[in-house]
Amino acid sequence: MLIAALVTAALFGVVFLTREPRYRTPRRLGIGTTVSVAAAAAVPGTMGPCGFADESTPVDHVLFFALMLTSSWIALIVTRAIFDRSDGASPDTSAMTGEIRSGGFRTKPWVPWLLLSPTLVILIVFLYTPAVQTFTLGTKLARLGAPNSIDVCLSNFSELLIVDPVRLVAYPLVAVAAVYATSWWRRATSKETWSHRLAEVASTLSVLGIFVALWAIFSPGGDGQVAYRPVYVTTLIITIGTVATGMIGGLAIAYLAFRNIRGGGVYRTLLIWPYAISPTVAGILFFMIFDPTAGIFQYLAEVWFGVDVPNYRESAILAQAAIILASGWKILGYNILFYLAGLQTVPTSQVEAAVIDGASAWQRFTKIVLPSLSPITFFLLVTNLTYAFFEIYATIDFMTKGAPAGKTSVAIYEIIRVGVNNGDLGRGAAQSVLLFVAVIGVTLWQFRTSGERVTYGGAT
Amino acid sequence: MRSRLRLFSLFAALGLVVAACGGGATEGTEAPADAPADAGAADGADGEVTTIGFWVAFSDEARLGFTKERAAEFNAKYPEYNIEVTSFASYNDVFDAAVLAVDSGEPPGIIHFFEAATRQALDAVGADGQPIFKSVTEAIGGRTEILGEPVILDDVVDAAKNYYTVNGSFYSMPWNTSSAIMFSNTDMLEAAGVMEIPETWAEVEAACEKVMAMPGAPAACITWPNHSWFVEQSLGQQGELLANNDNGRSGRATEVYLTSEGMIDYVSWWKDMADKGYYTYTGVQRDWDGTANAFLAQEVAMLIYSSSDTTFLTNSGKEAGFDVKASFMPYNGEREYVGNLIGGATLWLLNGMDKKAEDGALAFMNFFSNPENAAEWHRITGYIPITKSAEALLEQEGWYDESPNSRVASEQLAAAKNTPASLGALLGNFVAIRDIITIAIEDILVNDLDVAERMAQANEEANKSLAEYEALFGG
Repeated sequence: MLIAALVTAALFGVVFLTREPRYRTPRRLGIGTTVSVAAAAAVPGTMGPCGFADESTPVDHVLFFALMLTSSWIALIVTRAIFDRSDGASPDTSAMTGEIRSGGFRTKPWVPWLLLSPTLVILIVFLYTPAVQTFTLGTKLARLGAPNSIDVCLSNFSELLIVDPVRLVAYPLVAVAAVYATSWWRRATSKETWSHRLAEVASTLSVLGIFVALWAIFSPGGDGQVAYRPVYVTTLIITIGTVATGMIGGLAIAYLAFRNIRGGGVYRTLLIWPYAISPTVAGILFFMIFDPTAGIFQYLAEVWFGVDVPNYRESAILAQAAIILASGWKILGYNILFYLAGLQTVPTSQVEAAVIDGASAWQRFTKIVLPSLSPITFFLLVTNLTYAFFEIYATIDFMTKGAPAGKTSVAIYEIIRVGVNNGDLGRGAAQSVLLFVAVIGVTLWQFRTSGERVTYGGAT
Repeated sequence: MRSRLRLFSLFAALGLVVAACGGGATEGTEAPADAPADAGAADGADGEVTTIGFWVAFSDEARLGFTKERAAEFNAKYPEYNIEVTSFASYNDVFDAAVLAVDSGEPPGIIHFFEAATRQALDAVGADGQPIFKSVTEAIGGRTEILGEPVILDDVVDAAKNYYTVNGSFYSMPWNTSSAIMFSNTDMLEAAGVMEIPETWAEVEAACEKVMAMPGAPAACITWPNHSWFVEQSLGQQGELLANNDNGRSGRATEVYLTSEGMIDYVSWWKDMADKGYYTYTGVQRDWDGTANAFLAQEVAMLIYSSSDTTFLTNSGKEAGFDVKASFMPYNGEREYVGNLIGGATLWLLNGMDKKAEDGALAFMNFFSNPENAAEWHRITGYIPITKSAEALLEQEGWYDESPNSRVASEQLAAAKNTPASLGALLGNFVAIRDIITIAIEDILVNDLDVAERMAQANEEANKSLAEYEALFGG
């Protein structure tokens, strides 16, 4: 099985490089294939071919194989960059900066490395090393204070997934194929035609297909597997809810506060305050507001409206809504701050021209203001997602502790519950690698898709 | 027993590993300016002040304050020692920090760690393979006093002694010890026509029927935190083992029983009470604050809780204008009552200290729970007086006549038969297994699941967890 995997890696290297004619020289193909195989072999080389061992499950085989190919892929990207460099081609950055293509400085080759070294050291010490260590820890059964740890290969990962290897491979492949197919369809059709509109709808749906595929490959529990599918669903709901609440609310309030009103400066300053509060305090505040026994909300609802509000922690929808509200409110100030800054860059001439042309306020907002804000929106999307993924632990811990029955236990909460509170370091590490990969995936995807629709002003 | 999991500010995903770098050790050898080198100090001190870190899992004013005051008194009495109290948010935090501090070479002298993790503490070793903790009995080595402080081990009340005795000796020094008892709002019960405080499950149910039927009935009748500790208490009452090998006391526990008859009966009763609207679930696991608030806000008539807050609950009830009466935790009337168990924590002595530091730590431990201090600790909290002398002292002072509620926990523990079931389990991965039990019960209460089926699933998970622990530590 190991041999088959290495042969696949070799083929992968060839396929990867033959896509562009520049790389189709025998020498480069040779180098690429060797690098690809070597990188793939590095995986069993460092951790042993445990994923293909007899006692491992088919899912382990799949994961191990995927790990080897990922290693090849990263190595090939690096190789390609080196080829590009020797060809003198540099990545096209003009779209981002709108400036002239940069030339080279006349320096010794080591000077850039010297200048980069502080950043590189920080990245290596605080990002890459811990990432590798976390992954290593994720392949172990380990506890603090234990005399030793036990290698469990990839079982900490595979126990989060469904047990059927065929479906495990098929679902993501189908989803990714759908995304490529629809985007090709979109490009192949000409604008303003029905088939193009249809293609756009299909391409949006195919992105949703990826989320569905991920839903399908996480284990619903049973068969000795960890029920990770509910965690995935919860994370999705709370993350999307938080980001949507925070960004739409932030933009709406910023737009209102931006208008010329008396004392506008004071409003604008006060609006930023929630950002200065830590997630913990946000948790306590909302805990005090919504607490079923001592809460203000409960009391007011009863006194003013005579409504007996149910305990939000017992209903999945209410609990999730409360968490979304609290964490969305917390990030609101941050979003307002950036949107206020962004609104100042909206070209007034265009707005005035639109007024003269008789555009309504809503048209001006959607056709001029929103597109001008797209770089800010894109930036906020990334930071808000990161916030929703990593920083709402304290809010959840104070408000619901994951209740009811795990319906507000998002990925980061689950990691701390398993890895820190229960002391199961290996599983905690494995789940945190998963979250790490998810964040990388979401960010890459954002850069690819949002990048097309973001305008940074300038030439156009 | 209130292991409220407080704030772990964010460990981001990768932080799990990075954290291994920070031990947070507070040890220092320099003398504080106000501690004069006392040439005449006992034990032939060389005039240098020995600092001993004491890491405590309490952060509230009353309990941390008590600890700091005792440490200050000890430091004044023994100028050659400096007991330095550091507060942590939870027992787990203390333990993790201590293990990491041992590995980085700056450990504290004493740490405060809870009963359920006794097995884990016994098994813990540092990076060098040496045990993290040292048996207190062994360190005392038969002495009856250390630096003039009388050793209190022989005086410890039976319930705590039996729980913490492993292989015939104390490994750790008992401190905060409680039991699960019931608090009743007698005004409300009387208004509903319940004159006798219910003692069995059936009586509680009958009382609840009356309470809920009265005009102006509260939101619910009874509550208690969804904490595995109450499940364990109930198993003890029913004489049911939680784990094999006599609850892990005649050998290492290698199997847990979450599907025993006593377990199913208890959880079924719990669910039944919830279904009838008698029991109210606050919706949060291990919710000590929420349940106590519901009781004090008179939203329920009865509260099953830790005796550690007897003083607080009694006084707060009085302030809110109702009488609070403590009684034994209700038991299953259809089975013979065997006994409730303790909860709480002990003080663990770190391994590898030099003789002078170790004696200082031992002297402090004994000073800390001497009769006066143990009695004071009981009065301000409700944790049981840990020694017989402290009990006698309180009796003599007339404390129990003044506050009869405070006697209940001690009496309940004294009433227990000394069997493995009522001692409670010594179990590896107990914290994770407790978590599994708590989650299963929440699932049953919130999602209306079949008790036997869900507990069977929990049993499978718990046994897997235990097997993994034994694979790491048992070999």
